[in-house]
Amino acid sequence: MSDVPAGLPKAWTKMLEGLKTWSRIYSPWAIHFNSGSCNGCDIEILATLTPRYDVERFGIKLQGSPRHADVLICTGPVTLQARDRLKRVYDQMPDPKFVIAVGSCATSGGVFQGCYNVVGGIDQVIPVNAFIPGCPPRPEAIIDGVVKLLRSLQVKKVTEKTG
Amino acid sequence: MTGPHVEKFIVPIGPQHPALKEPAHFEFSVDGETVTSASVRFGYVHRGLEKGAENRNWAQALYLLERVCGICSHAHSTVYALGVERLAGVSAPPRAQAIRQILLELERIHSHMLWVGVAAHEAGYDTLFMYSWRDRETVMDILESFTGNRVNYSANVLGGVKYDLGPAQADSILSGLDYLEKRLHYYLNVVNNDESFLGRTRGVGTMTTEEAENLGAIGPVVRASGVHRDLRVDAPYLMYADFPVTMITATAGDLQARFVVRIQELFESTRNIRALVEHLPEGELSVRFPRKVRAGETVSRIEAPRGGLFYFIKSDGSENPFRVKVRTPSLRNFMSVIVGVVGHQLADVPMILAGIDPCFSCNDRTVIVHREGSDGSAPPSESDSRKDSSSWSKP
Amino acid sequence: MTTETLLEEAVQLIGDKAGGQSVPEPGRIDLTVEPARLLECVNALTTAHWGYLSAITGLDLGPQDGHLEALYHFCQKAAVLTLRVSLPRDGAVVPSVCGLIPSATLFERELMEMFGIVCEGTPDPRRLFLSDDWPQGVYPLRKDFIVPVPANRPEKGTAE
Repeated sequence: MSDVPAGLPKAWTKMLEGLKTWSRIYSPWAIHFNSGSCNGCDIEILATLTPRYDVERFGIKLQGSPRHADVLICTGPVTLQARDRLKRVYDQMPDPKFVIAVGSCATSGGVFQGCYNVVGGIDQVIPVNAFIPGCPPRPEAIIDGVVKLLRSLQVKKVTEKTG
Repeated sequence: MTGPHVEKFIVPIGPQHPALKEPAHFEFSVDGETVTSASVRFGYVHRGLEKGAENRNWAQALYLLERVCGICSHAHSTVYALGVERLAGVSAPPRAQAIRQILLELERIHSHMLWVGVAAHEAGYDTLFMYSWRDRETVMDILESFTGNRVNYSANVLGGVKYDLGPAQADSILSGLDYLEKRLHYYLNVVNNDESFLGRTRGVGTMTTEEAENLGAIGPVVRASGVHRDLRVDAPYLMYADFPVTMITATAGDLQARFVVRIQELFESTRNIRALVEHLPEGELSVRFPRKVRAGETVSRIEAPRGGLFYFIKSDGSENPFRVKVRTPSLRNFMSVIVGVVGHQLADVPMILAGIDPCFSCNDRTVIVHREGSDGSAPPSESDSRKDSSSWSKP
Repeated sequence: MTTETLLEEAVQLIGDKAGGQSVPEPGRIDLTVEPARLLECVNALTTAHWGYLSAITGLDLGPQDGHLEALYHFCQKAAVLTLRVSLPRDGAVVPSVCGLIPSATLFERELMEMFGIVCEGTPDPRRLFLSDDWPQGVYPLRKDFIVPVPANRPEKGTAE
């Protein structure tokens, strides 16, 4: 659902905005992107789908296409080859969109800061809404970060960053 | 006549979501359905580690190299530590060596179970994926209670290890292993007897003993083809001479054999860990390590979960490594795939690639197919290619 | 067969084609080989099925030394035989071993892009790890490639 059409009665606008927010909070569709990580974070993200953590019970659905995604969950220190692709994936996502940087590498480059093929941190390429540090962060920490982002949507603390 | 038509399909391997659109990195040319040539292009995860190690001191390089790969990080850390210790003329105490070996075998368990789950997922068995990853959590718990982290345990220091094994941890390891062994029997039963599983794995992607030898493949995939190659037995390191493992091989060389070999290896791993925990040598955890390592060159090799891991380390007598060369087993096995896949059916390719258990830190998963004389029809959509994947793997 | 026996076997196969011989550590032998004789040595090893090519290491001995080296590591059980080929920094050329060991192509591609050593006759000369827009003639693992220090990062904050 994109922007609420203009020219509607105020009550309708308010209801549609609420519906939009409700659907984003209660069933966000997420896409996962690896910008060059060692896969430690990616394994822990995948572990959140498995029975012990079962992130899907929170309504979070990990799916494949950027064009259907509300949330971009991104790992890795952004290698030079990955940079353009990351930007492209971000641009393909419809507004409003949110970016979560998972792991120390995604936050700042981690141990790879200063290496020649690494940009060093997702926020060097696209705007980031939430950082989840750790090397790698535990599945609980990842879920916690995502849930916190969603809850902040509820209280409208998050400024929606458009591209 | 139409020229070669380029189709793209995504090789369904890896825990990364298969719809991840990555640029072409495997390229196959086909004639009909038979692969005529193959090539590969990496770089997506290239971070410049080898150069990075030269700009850090010996201890800092340890933390860097641990993160070559999140799945086998302790293997990288250990092979580096062993090599540098040898250069420096330092020997880690026996208790440290035993703890390193326990962690290596625990890592093997988590890595093979991860692969079983992922390969099952790609063959369409999400239940097996969920089961194996749930059971894998037992290993993650053990690793966490031992080292404080589930991944990237950072247990090594140059000269030994950081973490000790107390009686409480020993108990949790042993009871965790009891549970795992029961589950491993279940998985072995599935891979040996489940009809639909066999239909997708028996006779698929077969590599003969001779092919495996000539291609220089390594790890469980080559042992599944009957080649006796395992560094823990051929060139024992740490405590493998006193606490040996039996080499597990199979002769069929197909995908089913690769499942069987990996699961049976895990029985060897649990046995090995039990023996080490029950007879852990007393003593210190580490010894002093010099800041500068004397000049020299060394080759350090250990058997990581995917095969032999090769490090060449050169010191010029300073505080920083002069050169650290990392050759991962996956790279060696990719080479065997791109040569060995020629002549096989295109349909076998995804499963052949999955069978080598590629470490994603050095591979991408999109494939470009060059098809001679095709009518230029549109490339398969993502859902189409996944639908086809189940029919590809039928013998 | 013991490791020593394996190594003796290897030396017997190619000792006459190689120059100097050294033992850097137990279980290893290094043989110096001229580029022109590399293929003969590799052929002798592969024909006799002695080991497999485990890795090719590139070395830059530093601008003062003026030499590069290509090390071909062959492994058989616990024995490691290394063929060392010394090359000038400018115009470093070795013959490709892919005719004898087809799967060496990935090793050679890495050697070429990282050190600027040309493997003559290699079937696929494309880059392996570096992106296509990485500048030509810049070889990251050479000692004279200094990794650029990242510019001061601008102040970044989380979303308000």
